[in-house]
Amino acid sequence: MVQVTVDPLTRIEGHYRVNTEVNGEGVITDAQSNGLQLRGFERLLQHQDPRDAALLAQRICGVCPICHSISAANALDQLFGVAGQVPKNALVMRNIEQGLNYIASHAAHIYVLWGPDLANPAYRDILAKYGDVGNAVWKELSGRFAPLIYQLNGTSYPAGSSYVGAIAEFRRLHEAIALIAGKMPHQVLQHVGGVVYSPTVADIGQIVGYVSKTMEFVEAFTLGVSPDTWVANTYKASSPQKAANFVLNHLKELLNKSLTSKDFSHSAGWGDVPLFAAFGSELIGEKLLGLPISMKMDLAGAYKDPNKIGFLSYGVFFKPEKGDGYDPTSPADSRVIPSGYMNGNFKLEKFDYKKISESTHHAFYIDNVEDRPPWNGITVPEEDPGKIDYTKGSASRYSWSKAPNYNGIPCEVGPLARMIIMGEPLVTGLVKTFQDNGYYPVNNYTRMVARMQEILVLYSELMKWLTQDLEAGGKVAVHTELSMAKSSAGMGLWEAPRGALGHWIATGPDSMVTLYQAVVPSTWNLAPRNSQDIPSPVEQALIGTKISAAGNALGVDYSNPLGILHTARSYDPCLACAVHTIDKTGKHPDYTIKIL
Amino acid sequence: MQNGGSGTDNEGLLEKFKNLDFMKMDRRTFIKAVGALGASLFLQTYKSDIAKALQLSETKVVWFHGVMDSGCTISMLDGGSPDIVEFLQVYNLKLLYHEVLMMQQGIFVDGKPANTNDLNSEILLDEILEKEKGYVLVSEGAVANGPQGSGKYLMLGGRPYKEIYAKAAKNALAIVAIGNCATNSGVNAAKSDIVELMDPRGIAFTMEDSSKGILDLLGVEKPVINLTGCPTHPDWVFLTIGAVVLGKIKVPDDLPYVLDHWKRPKVFFPPDHVIHDNCSRRGYYDRGEFELTVGGPKCLWKLGCKGPYTHADCATRHWNGHLNYCPQAGSPCIGCVQSGFPDSTRPFFVEIEKTGIVGTNINTIAGVAIGGALLAAGAHAVRRTVMKRPEDEGEVAEETTSEETGGEK
Repeated sequence: MVQVTVDPLTRIEGHYRVNTEVNGEGVITDAQSNGLQLRGFERLLQHQDPRDAALLAQRICGVCPICHSISAANALDQLFGVAGQVPKNALVMRNIEQGLNYIASHAAHIYVLWGPDLANPAYRDILAKYGDVGNAVWKELSGRFAPLIYQLNGTSYPAGSSYVGAIAEFRRLHEAIALIAGKMPHQVLQHVGGVVYSPTVADIGQIVGYVSKTMEFVEAFTLGVSPDTWVANTYKASSPQKAANFVLNHLKELLNKSLTSKDFSHSAGWGDVPLFAAFGSELIGEKLLGLPISMKMDLAGAYKDPNKIGFLSYGVFFKPEKGDGYDPTSPADSRVIPSGYMNGNFKLEKFDYKKISESTHHAFYIDNVEDRPPWNGITVPEEDPGKIDYTKGSASRYSWSKAPNYNGIPCEVGPLARMIIMGEPLVTGLVKTFQDNGYYPVNNYTRMVARMQEILVLYSELMKWLTQDLEAGGKVAVHTELSMAKSSAGMGLWEAPRGALGHWIATGPDSMVTLYQAVVPSTWNLAPRNSQDIPSPVEQALIGTKISAAGNALGVDYSNPLGILHTARSYDPCLACAVHTIDKTGKHPDYTIKIL
Repeated sequence: MQNGGSGTDNEGLLEKFKNLDFMKMDRRTFIKAVGALGASLFLQTYKSDIAKALQLSETKVVWFHGVMDSGCTISMLDGGSPDIVEFLQVYNLKLLYHEVLMMQQGIFVDGKPANTNDLNSEILLDEILEKEKGYVLVSEGAVANGPQGSGKYLMLGGRPYKEIYAKAAKNALAIVAIGNCATNSGVNAAKSDIVELMDPRGIAFTMEDSSKGILDLLGVEKPVINLTGCPTHPDWVFLTIGAVVLGKIKVPDDLPYVLDHWKRPKVFFPPDHVIHDNCSRRGYYDRGEFELTVGGPKCLWKLGCKGPYTHADCATRHWNGHLNYCPQAGSPCIGCVQSGFPDSTRPFFVEIEKTGIVGTNINTIAGVAIGGALLAAGAHAVRRTVMKRPEDEGEVAEETTSEETGGEK
């Protein structure tokens, strides 16, 4: 048994460690997911004016501040009793701002954080076995995805073309956000009862221009086909099978040309998604398309026991058709990407927020209650430096992240969960294809394809919100007074780019905050074990995964643990979010936020 | 002393600015430069200086992330003129370590560092800590000191970040702290029941307390330049590091002249200039027209805007491609560049003179209250009071002190 530890896992947001036990065959047999930083963020909102939360809470995360700001604003809408009256135009503005940030955040993950691992030298060596074609593909991978700081044996690689291009688009989308929200990150648009800015016709036109410009990059670099063609044949396809077939047929056509020309460049039609889609998967690339080699991402990061995992979405993006106001409990039919819970066998159930609880059993907090709902949280952190030890294994306390559960089951949250709960045709079709061919359907490959596909889903919806639903100069807020928040409570359910996000707030007779809680996506995905010792989603995904590149295709190399790197990064870790609130004094042991 | 640039207005502005040492420019010249040329053109006027940098020898940069949300790294990726890639190239910088932008990560096999510095960030980091000297240490994020001074509330590669930071700081040429988490511990050190236990430290200050910076605690003396903001602006960072590399600011000799009390470049955080001075909603203020609900075009004073107290060039520089800034977009300024942010500027939606905010200088409140009272007397009187600035009058206005404006003593 060999212990392989990645500490710190870089190219994420925050500070994170993964520890694994690996057997002689190079298969991970045990794993712990360690959040390394205590931040105690929510506590600085306590005793304060609740309205500040819409601007302060976003400072939990600089990559996805908008979702925190909107979650907080949603919670404030309920706290102030105005959720039913928030003007439709404000809800559309929330959608637009969030949609722009989803695309930017996904692009940052795919290209800047996750993509560089495709330029790992292990793939150079694996692809070299496939001669000229393999070498041509490696040239593309390293030429597109090399990060800003990268050298091999003393030779610096220039930053990749897709990597650098994506940063420019990220910047462009943040400009689009700043146009209506002041600046980015840490925008200022969201406010209790609506938003603070009513857009002009010129603003709307300018944002459409920004999005269209970004779609030029998506066409030239990401997809290799026009986004509209892609959307029409996947997101808007009449069945999952048709959507999956569109992509498979497209890959076949590309391969027919390039296997002889040995040209896998962007200009030959090989967008980053097709390149990854063909060469990233054993099933798609080798079995269905007949390639002799692949990166076998579909063999890593899978869940083996369907009884220990679920998929969760709180629902996100208000349906403009519903008009003014919204229901804070997030019923599935009120959000564009619906709320829902899907069990490990992909059976869909209605989402019920009352089934959420958090365990501190394996976290550095002291609590005699095993599982608490987030609106009844007390958390006392370990104060003894000697007891903050990440090396004591799976039975110990080993993270600053708590372990959230839905009905006692750890859940994956994020693009893949959203897309399968939504029934998005391409992702659903791919999941089914893997299932039908005897593969675990949720794996690093499908997780990444879902994130890529969500960009296109959002593009399609964004254009509708901008051109059909948003009214220039329309009313964007209802008037509120601080006194409306007297002895009240609110819940803001939303989805961060990385997954389910909830903010809970309560106030006292003076309208000041008595309790603030945020349960964030990386807490779901990257938790430690729960009170029943069930490993978290990332831990389950790591256990059974091979430690080295492409299913140990070059043999077992413990010192280049791509199995860990791909799997952990595939969740788009955001650890600044995941480190939780604490109550040292225990002054508020039994605060209960009474919701509704 | 502080004024490196001359004050005459007219012809040949562009030529003149080329020869100016912009970090030493006084506020009036600076505002004029931005106003006359526009922000991005202003940056371009330094192209000739920047070109010289290519002949300079390589400057090494080590970039650390402590307790933070990565918002400042994101803000750097949002920099457009130059962007981060161009920034590194034109100033001939070698970025040795940056956890978000590097290929490497920490890899241990049976507890021992594995592979090489090509893929293992811990091997790379140890090489930097043992061998490198004279680099610019860019510090993003606070340094965790808790619990009980152990620093274990943030661990990296099995050791407290505090220990890593101490080693890196000792061998740095200078430290550039970016964003309020690093400069003042920011939101991490905001008032709460647990802040003493957490004990997160800024580099040279913790909140407004200069005796609680982590460097003091570690016994390390290094020149520090603070670039506040939550997040900070990419121009502020790129131009400051550029000025150091170009020798436009000589470290440490020039620092007492170009930095304010909070160790911030006065050119970006002018002691005698607040956001309110150039606010796009200023006309409404002068006419006494105020919003009482969000969503409208008028002055945001009564919604709690901290623009009249906040020392930064946001209203002239603008953010994200020099497009916009908070009050223009309908939100009261929340004073996120202030050293005491967020405690010195919250509640955000309450007029500051009604808040009784701890740490706010009573003279400031008085001065502003006078301004508020004078509104009834009409714009002319208001303008006289609010516009009365040391440089305009050649004297220090009575209602401000060097403490709260960050001016020289």
